[in-house]
Amino acid sequence: MDLWFHFTDPILRAPTIGSIFMCLAASLTGVILLFQRKLLISETISHAAYPGAIGGIFFLSMFGPEFERFSFVAVLMGAIVSSWLGLKSIRWLERKWKIHSDAALCFVLALFFGTGVLLASGLQQIQPLWAQQGHILLFGQAATLTDEHMLLYGLLSISCIAFIVVFFRPLQAILFDPVFAKSVGIRTRLVERIFFWLLLISIVTGIRSVGVILISGMLIAPAVAARQFSHQLKTVFWLAAIFGAVSGWSGAVLSAQYSLPTGPMIVLVSACFALVGLLASPKRGVLFRLTRLAKFRLRCMEENVLKGLWKKPMNGLELRRHYPSMLSFVLSRLVRHGWVIKTQNGEYHLTRDGHKKATAIVRLHRLWELYLTEQMGRDPKFVHASAEEMEHVLTPEIEAHLTKVLLDPQKDPHSQPIPGKVSV
Amino acid sequence: MNPYSGAQFFEFFAILARRFGQFFMGQAGGLAADELQLAVLVCSAIACGLLGPFLVLKRMSMFANSLSHTTLLGVVGAFLFASHWWGSGMTDLSTLLLGACISAGLTAGLIEVLSRVFRLAPDASIGLCFTTLFAIGVILVSLFTRDVHLSTEAVTGNCDALLSSDLRLAASIALLNAILISLFYRPFMLMSFDESYLRALGFSAPFWRFCLFFLTSLTVVASFRAVGVLVVLALLMGPYLTVRLFCHQLTRLVWLTPVCGVAIVVVSVALSRHILSASGVPLSTGGIVSLLTALTFLGGASVRVVMRRFA
Repeated sequence: MDLWFHFTDPILRAPTIGSIFMCLAASLTGVILLFQRKLLISETISHAAYPGAIGGIFFLSMFGPEFERFSFVAVLMGAIVSSWLGLKSIRWLERKWKIHSDAALCFVLALFFGTGVLLASGLQQIQPLWAQQGHILLFGQAATLTDEHMLLYGLLSISCIAFIVVFFRPLQAILFDPVFAKSVGIRTRLVERIFFWLLLISIVTGIRSVGVILISGMLIAPAVAARQFSHQLKTVFWLAAIFGAVSGWSGAVLSAQYSLPTGPMIVLVSACFALVGLLASPKRGVLFRLTRLAKFRLRCMEENVLKGLWKKPMNGLELRRHYPSMLSFVLSRLVRHGWVIKTQNGEYHLTRDGHKKATAIVRLHRLWELYLTEQMGRDPKFVHASAEEMEHVLTPEIEAHLTKVLLDPQKDPHSQPIPGKVSV
Repeated sequence: MNPYSGAQFFEFFAILARRFGQFFMGQAGGLAADELQLAVLVCSAIACGLLGPFLVLKRMSMFANSLSHTTLLGVVGAFLFASHWWGSGMTDLSTLLLGACISAGLTAGLIEVLSRVFRLAPDASIGLCFTTLFAIGVILVSLFTRDVHLSTEAVTGNCDALLSSDLRLAASIALLNAILISLFYRPFMLMSFDESYLRALGFSAPFWRFCLFFLTSLTVVASFRAVGVLVVLALLMGPYLTVRLFCHQLTRLVWLTPVCGVAIVVVSVALSRHILSASGVPLSTGGIVSLLTALTFLGGASVRVVMRRFA
């Protein structure tokens, strides 16, 4: 399949470019909402746009069928008005009636969308020819986008992008520390008001290709995916834009290929991005965290075995009694590192390097026990368990500090000698 | 012949009262379409009204909203399972239970996994979960039916073409909710106000939270075909928030909310009939219910404002 063909072909051009732009605006706005922790508001606003969109079609249908090709403008206008009303009523419910935002969001969503359904059922009966225009707003349809749509929606998305580029600095300050932003003279009210309109416009733009019900997914998934890969606001914006554009494009193509509803396909593609980000991103991904945890556990086991062998050489049977889990794997690793060797009679001995390493661990263990008793005033009987854990995590810096605080001690609380510092 | 055809708004109630009389004399015959619709909606209003207060207090309303989306996947799954292995239809009670289990389990489980294991913020995990599951549901539906209308109906329901089996279902769910809420009122109340007290009394807080969630899921799934998830959401939130303007005692709230819901529903059915008689346009009754819920809240709020001014 020739990809470039989608951008040049006169019929495919508008759906391709149109849905890319729509999803781009939505996913950029999603990033701002993600940092504000208000992602669910997009769900309510998009549902609140439905009655207005249907109302717009209703209004236009009164002028006669020759206006049908302008219905997308009516949809856009109506949707903006009613989602503005929805956003205002959420605030009214929260401030005036002290309703928690969670309940207010759900309430406004249900009522507005219900009213939309009511209007749509009326449209179906009164103007059945126009009802199809209302139907495609539920789940979106990219295939029927025309060049006029593309121009209008492209313009709206570009204005969203322009806002983010121009107001990047103030936006960054407001997102991370609103009080600071205000104190350095950023006009937070103005930026927030513009953002309010940006949110409305980007959602209302997206409903033509993704649909009223699922456009919130388009705000959420790319932002979540992008957040997994970076800590920097600028990078998160870039990544979200890329994820959004790619899923808008490939969702539209897939849905046309298999004649499936467009909105769900787009959302599914972007959910795949989010899934990959959540699982496999370096640093924040679950796979990474699990491997790090597993590595740490393994290191603890290795160090425990080394410590055991430091006290006295043991054969396999004895070792298994003390360290039952994964012993053969741990031992093979220790042998490979050159810290442990197996002698003729089946006993395991420490090598020179292994001995040094084990000494260091024992030293940490006993230092910590002494610190707990002397500095924290704990009973020597109860310090062993804590030291068993701390010996694996104490860094050389903390070790140096402990040595200084405890005045380079020689005996631990149980009168065992503390081995001197060794360089590994 | 539907005795209500051509009835105006107040006429509707007169005919309803007469039919009630006939019903007790045993002369009514079967339920007319309007009566069936009224009965189903009243049952849903009771079922939702009982759960609404606890959901709002527990701040689980957006959870309920995500359930209303994921239900589609649960129902599709249950339907596929049932039609393959049991050879039974969608209105079967066991299929329904299965659907509720699937959707409640999937939603609660996925949201929990996303926020615990993947460490997402609660709003992001709820949003990601239900949009994805709903997208999968819609795609499955359109793969198996190749019919766009079914997926539209999945959201809006169709309470203008009901069967008597829908009434049986709605009634049993309303009864179940009423019995469970009145039997276990105390743990439900404590859970929504003071979970640590609940734990101190030896109840398990997560268990009761999941109970509430499962009951909600059951209610949503049961109403899925009949009245649509949208009406369920409106009836879960609207009556409670309206009654809450005037009353702050949970016991009263819990029985006044269903009463308010029932009132809204009765008026909407009459209104829907009135519009049909007056202009010949059959409107979606579910939509009328939502609009009336909004108007009820607005009315209540303005009464409250006036009361404050003169108090």
